[in-house]
Amino acid sequence: MRGFHPGHFWAMVAFALCVSLAFAVLGRQSAGARVKYALWSLALFLAAAIGIAWLMYPFSR
Amino acid sequence: MATDSPAVHKSPDQVAAKALLVAIAAWIVPGLGHLILRRWGRALFLFLAVGGLALTGFALRGELFARQSSDPFGALGFLADACSGAFYFLPRFFKMAGPDVSRAAGDYGTRFLAAAGVVNLLGMLESFRIASGRRR
Repeated sequence: MRGFHPGHFWAMVAFALCVSLAFAVLGRQSAGARVKYALWSLALFLAAAIGIAWLMYPFSR
Repeated sequence: MATDSPAVHKSPDQVAAKALLVAIAAWIVPGLGHLILRRWGRALFLFLAVGGLALTGFALRGELFARQSSDPFGALGFLADACSGAFYFLPRFFKMAGPDVSRAAGDYGTRFLAAAGVVNLLGMLESFRIASGRRR
């Protein structure tokens, strides 16, 4: 645990993965719908995070 | 000639008591509520999601919110953390590096820990609803 230093991006990916998985499992009933929902949710998480990061980029320096 | 087996009907009190026990089990160990209700897949993935968030949060050296807090957000944070059940008590039993919110990663870790509790709260509510017959 002491040597675990993921970058901001990988921490965000881990968060998006875990939360998408939970949303899909709790929000959908069939296996197919769950997989679809998890992938869609993960893609939206990543797209939103990367989009917001680019929007903030001009103010970062 | 086939005979129908007698249907077992539980009283509303029994159903409510079972639903409450299932919700408590789901709080103590994420996914255990679904496991009791024989929702194997949901139980496993819920455990992995909550465990993944909580362990990553600790690894990033996130901080658990204090029980006593004058700040309402701190109190909400404590509630969120406490909802992760067994994972909330993990640092008491295992020697971990401890929180370090002086770095951004530590601050992220704090959010991971709170998110783990919120996800487990959703799981608890769902297992309660399944046990009380309001959801499949």
